[in-house]
Amino acid sequence: MKIDVLSELGFEMIVKGEGEIFHGYACDLLSEVMGNAKPDTVWFTVQSHVNIIAVAVITGIRAIVLCNGHDYGEETIEKAKKEGIALFKTRLNTFEAVKKICNVAQNEIQG
Amino acid sequence: MEIKTMENIDDLIKKIQPYFSELSVGDFMSSPVVTVQENQTILQAKELMRSWRISGLPVVDERGKLKGIISIEDIIHALESGTLGLLVSEKMSRNVVYLFKYDKIMDAFKKFELYGYGRFPVIDEIDHRVIGIVTKQDLMLALLKKLSILYVHDSRREEFVGVDIYRSIPKNLKIERTEFEFQIDYKDLSLSGTGASELKKFLIARNFSPKFVKRIAIATYEAETNVVIHSNSTGRIKAYIEPEFVEVRVNDNGKGIENIETAMRDGYSTAPDYVREYGFGAGMGLSNMKKCADRMIILSSKGNGVFVEMHFWRHEDEN
Repeated sequence: MKIDVLSELGFEMIVKGEGEIFHGYACDLLSEVMGNAKPDTVWFTVQSHVNIIAVAVITGIRAIVLCNGHDYGEETIEKAKKEGIALFKTRLNTFEAVKKICNVAQNEIQG
Repeated sequence: MEIKTMENIDDLIKKIQPYFSELSVGDFMSSPVVTVQENQTILQAKELMRSWRISGLPVVDERGKLKGIISIEDIIHALESGTLGLLVSEKMSRNVVYLFKYDKIMDAFKKFELYGYGRFPVIDEIDHRVIGIVTKQDLMLALLKKLSILYVHDSRREEFVGVDIYRSIPKNLKIERTEFEFQIDYKDLSLSGTGASELKKFLIARNFSPKFVKRIAIATYEAETNVVIHSNSTGRIKAYIEPEFVEVRVNDNGKGIENIETAMRDGYSTAPDYVREYGFGAGMGLSNMKKCADRMIILSSKGNGVFVEMHFWRHEDEN
């Protein structure tokens, strides 16, 4: 699934990204994400601080969807641009946000 | 194999003994000690050795005073000559080499080297009662403890871990060429992970496969985060590219780890609440490191910081 599709699903794009995503992961504990997220993943979380970009860079996460109406800090946005990580946000909670992706791309996105 | 291993230990003990000069025999002897009385029979001594799985016993009189030592060789000899019923005092060696509680570890080491015996009884200076015993294993464990080798993991050679770890120690004392170096800024939680990200780029630029690099980066990230969250001190990441593997060292000058077994447990964390709110401190850091590294050594003691050394070999699917 192309990263752009996330916008079409109603997630608000904060930092544009390119490429495809094949996996999804939902968790707020960084070590868990670190240890388990696959490359080319879209990550659903409520963490918005700048470390999430480091986690994304290291694991190969390409896009982050910030749930529950949280906002990214300026520093996080700057870092994401620099590292080429796509940022989105939504008012939905994590479960609802994941469901949204499943509705349109259940077979394209794996855990 | 056994013998070879012991030789290695001897070499290593020699190399590192200056660092342990203040350790006394009393600090690491085994105590209380299994003894046999001189008026017991050799058969009884044999049973004691069998049930305790030991190969030598100090022989004492009724007041516990050292009189001799009886070894498995003496027992075999008695078996061959059918003299198991004799008294221990008739077969024991009387020229016992012993140690005192306040002897230094160097004295113990010298006696092992000089006499080649497997064990030395430790006696009280005044009344010569046997108060402990020192085997080569006790000596080795004392050194390990002193080094505070808290946790060792080697997925490739589990069975040799107890010996192999030493190889890294003397190396640390040399000046080497650093391939990658990063100073960890412990004051800024938001910068945590920067070093690992930099290392990832550094390795990718050197044409290592993304999968291999990811493994290294994750482990480094966790070690780096630990420095930021726990050490309250400066830290450093160093990485060396060796022909067969990549070595990453992360160290800090902070408060150290008190109990590694607890720290290794999944979900255990001493991270403060504000850190947890950021999604850190889940207690998975060390186990992630263990999972990613092919070999990991953690050296730490209270107040002396933490030193982590990890080795990464390219796996078959990582070329």
